[in-house]
Amino acid sequence: MKKVTIDTEQKKLIDNLVNHYIDNKRFFIVLLNQVETSVSSSQKLQPPLIHSVKSRLKDPEHLRDKLKRKMLEANEKNKKFNITTKNLFSKINDLAGFRIIHLHTTQFQEIDIELKNIFKEQGWVLHEGPIARTWDDEYREYFDKVGIAVDKSPDLYTSVHYIIKANQDNPLTCEIQVRTLMEEVWGEVDHTINYPYKSGSHSCREQIKVLARVTSSSSRLVDSIFSSHKDFHENSKKSKTKAKTPQKKRK
Amino acid sequence: MAKKTSKPASDRHRAIRIALYNHKGGVGKTTLIINIATALAKLGKRVLLVDTDPQCNLTSYLVEASVVDDWLDKSETPNGATIWSALRPFSEGTGDIKSISANETPDGIFLIPGDIRLSKFEEDLNQIWLECFQRKVHGYKGATAISELVNNVSKKEKIDFVFYDVGPNIGPLNRVVLLDCDYFVIPAACDLFSVRALKTLGHSLASWVRDWNTISQLAPDNVPLLPGQPKFLGYILQRFKMYGGAMAEAFSSYASKLEKSAHSDVVMVLREVDVNLAKSSLSQNKLGQVKDFSSLVIYSQEQGKSFFSVDGGIDAQKQEAKAAFTSIANNIISQTKGHSSN
Repeated sequence: MKKVTIDTEQKKLIDNLVNHYIDNKRFFIVLLNQVETSVSSSQKLQPPLIHSVKSRLKDPEHLRDKLKRKMLEANEKNKKFNITTKNLFSKINDLAGFRIIHLHTTQFQEIDIELKNIFKEQGWVLHEGPIARTWDDEYREYFDKVGIAVDKSPDLYTSVHYIIKANQDNPLTCEIQVRTLMEEVWGEVDHTINYPYKSGSHSCREQIKVLARVTSSSSRLVDSIFSSHKDFHENSKKSKTKAKTPQKKRK
Repeated sequence: MAKKTSKPASDRHRAIRIALYNHKGGVGKTTLIINIATALAKLGKRVLLVDTDPQCNLTSYLVEASVVDDWLDKSETPNGATIWSALRPFSEGTGDIKSISANETPDGIFLIPGDIRLSKFEEDLNQIWLECFQRKVHGYKGATAISELVNNVSKKEKIDFVFYDVGPNIGPLNRVVLLDCDYFVIPAACDLFSVRALKTLGHSLASWVRDWNTISQLAPDNVPLLPGQPKFLGYILQRFKMYGGAMAEAFSSYASKLEKSAHSDVVMVLREVDVNLAKSSLSQNKLGQVKDFSSLVIYSQEQGKSFFSVDGGIDAQKQEAKAAFTSIANNIISQTKGHSSN
């Protein structure tokens, strides 16, 4: 089989695209700050509903790798690589990334409602999403139930994505991801080992797949712990009002 | 970034807004504005002067001291008529800007009077600027407050040209005023300090335009915004002495230094941000020149009139002054023709 490569002209195009991003980075810095200000100004998006937030601008070298991958893919399929400096910012939506990390999956609905409130109140344009990516059937059902579109996740990646814009005219976007702390651990391990290039080690790839299953079970377990905790408190309240007998303190 | 999508404050009136700006003080800014405004009025244009210098020199120049004192005393009452009277409800968070009427001078020029308390609003403007970066509606409203006031008056009085008289500094008040202007003119004296000032002036303007571009690119839909594209209309050379029909040598060396500096420190610096902000040709940068009309300055300041409409003074000098300012006024009319602020 003939090996697919990138020619000098295409390489130049990628250089131009990356430079275009670097030239406009100040816009992304401000955009990301604005998203952070918006989210942190919310009374609800605080602990205990959310655990923490993270923001990052895409490293220009990671953009270069991403564009190279896309170009190789296009060359391989004999398709046209259709990213130009004019449409770079509308084609690549994760140059500014903001992440909201929470403890367990069933907190998501409340976070989603509050995020949509913020978008509406502060004039953010919801450009795409929310889309939940999950491979776990039980969670798929949960997202369905709270009205979130679900996408398959063949690489066992789990999180919910929103893409927002500052206004209708400006092409810049910021990707907001919402995921649990457990999923964050999986994501960090996967990212470190497989990004930007997939690990050559078969056992590493295997173990990361297994880690995804453990992660999913852990998230599920945390959900269960919190629902038991809630249940316990509600029941004890009820029995308190009924019997008015003092509860024994736990040792 | 894709081409800037300018979203100026909705229904911006067609009046062309110009600032005479040089943060170096004592370049005769106020005198120049009054003379240019009078020349434009005599050519049939409706001119509005806006005194945004908390020192109120323009207001004191045009209006009798007793009237100015009365305005300043009453500016915080319901009958307040100064720029601060209009801005105060917004500044103090009690409401939107108040509408005020401009005062018409005998020469047919309209004036929004200045106020020393405008410095309070200037203090707010630092926070307002930050709020614009944080995408807060209060920020956009604050940054466009003076613009909106000027817009309302321009509409009401069917104004053709607005001139802002700004204080001699690089502060947040001048930033929002300059970003509201369609054009700016640099008044420069023939001396070393005027030449040196151009460097900081060019760089400050460039960074203001760049910052505002970031702010407006990332602003929500339907918030008021400044146009943020003040174009360089040229510099006006003044206060030089003539010697037998030509510029005296000591001055002419500064005149050529100014020409070079206007090109390299203003034009080229602005064109780096946006080529539409300044024309590249060196010869187009001088909008006009006004020699030292020493005795007319005194009469003019005492009477609150332009050089060529004062009582007293030498007729030949008055004619010369009239010719110089009419030429500048005509240059302004022709160079701003076809400008559309929308």
